[in-house]
Amino acid sequence: MNTKEAGNGRESQGPLTITMAGLALTGLVVVLFTAPLAELLGDSRYALEGALHGVSAALFMVTATIGLFQGYRLLTGAIPSTAQLEFGSVVNAFLAFLTILFGNRIYIFYRAQEGPRTYFLENFPEIHKIFFEFKEFSALFTLPLAVAAAFLFLAYRGELLKSRSLRGLAAILLALTFFYFLVAFGLGAAITKLRAV
Amino acid sequence: MTTTEKPTGAAAAAVYSAALGLLVLAISHIAAEYSKAGKEWVHAWGKAWMPGAEGIGPYSGKETLALIAWLGSWLLLHRILRRKNIPLSDCTVLFLIGIGVATTLLWPPVTEWVLHLLRGGHP
Repeated sequence: MNTKEAGNGRESQGPLTITMAGLALTGLVVVLFTAPLAELLGDSRYALEGALHGVSAALFMVTATIGLFQGYRLLTGAIPSTAQLEFGSVVNAFLAFLTILFGNRIYIFYRAQEGPRTYFLENFPEIHKIFFEFKEFSALFTLPLAVAAAFLFLAYRGELLKSRSLRGLAAILLALTFFYFLVAFGLGAAITKLRAV
Repeated sequence: MTTTEKPTGAAAAAVYSAALGLLVLAISHIAAEYSKAGKEWVHAWGKAWMPGAEGIGPYSGKETLALIAWLGSWLLLHRILRRKNIPLSDCTVLFLIGIGVATTLLWPPVTEWVLHLLRGGHP
């Protein structure tokens, strides 16, 4: 590695990015053409929406966790530039939106006569009354919190690093996004285990 | 160094509006649970624009009202506060109180207790 590459992370990331993209594309092609996707999705009318909700939630878990860690680094002053946070926080907010959007779609089936709500109300009413109702609201908290965090990074950019209060506020927003996501994700996983959509 | 050249009002507007939107979410949930008329009123907001709102139920209206409160108040507060310097420590405390109140009101046993009080019950 020459001096220029060692001093500039962006240039040295090119081959790694290409390798990762190539691996992801290969994996996707192999899975699409060989895996029994229909069985994986299930035979529910809302199987595709359910899968998309699950995938977006899984991706959101990754970005929300990274956000929590970056928030900690922000507080300790370990972040030299907000460039990565600007992009990452927008992805985080977009995934919050997608997860809620697909969640809305499968909520239709959850409430339907043959859906899990009927089962829960008949067999475990408290599960619906306490866990599911709180889960559905907890998920909604993530969007304004993640969007506000992204706004702070985009509006203040490098200025944000100069202010301890702004760094603190951004870190709190990222931590809260993670917390409310975790509540929604944990309860969603538990409910799905009891009765899948 | 703990100050920025850019006024902090825009940051305050972003977090205040987020808290306000979530407080409206909690209030609209209580309104929907309070009576059949409240449920229908909240549901009508969702049915006005959201695809599949009939199947989603009153939850679609709660989302709509929260969205209007969040984005509407953000627009308004941003215009009012963007050139001002707001003490961010106070702003953070107020924001956390707002989020805390919204979360508490949406915790089902607390919602039930609030509804009990609204219907004239004793604490």
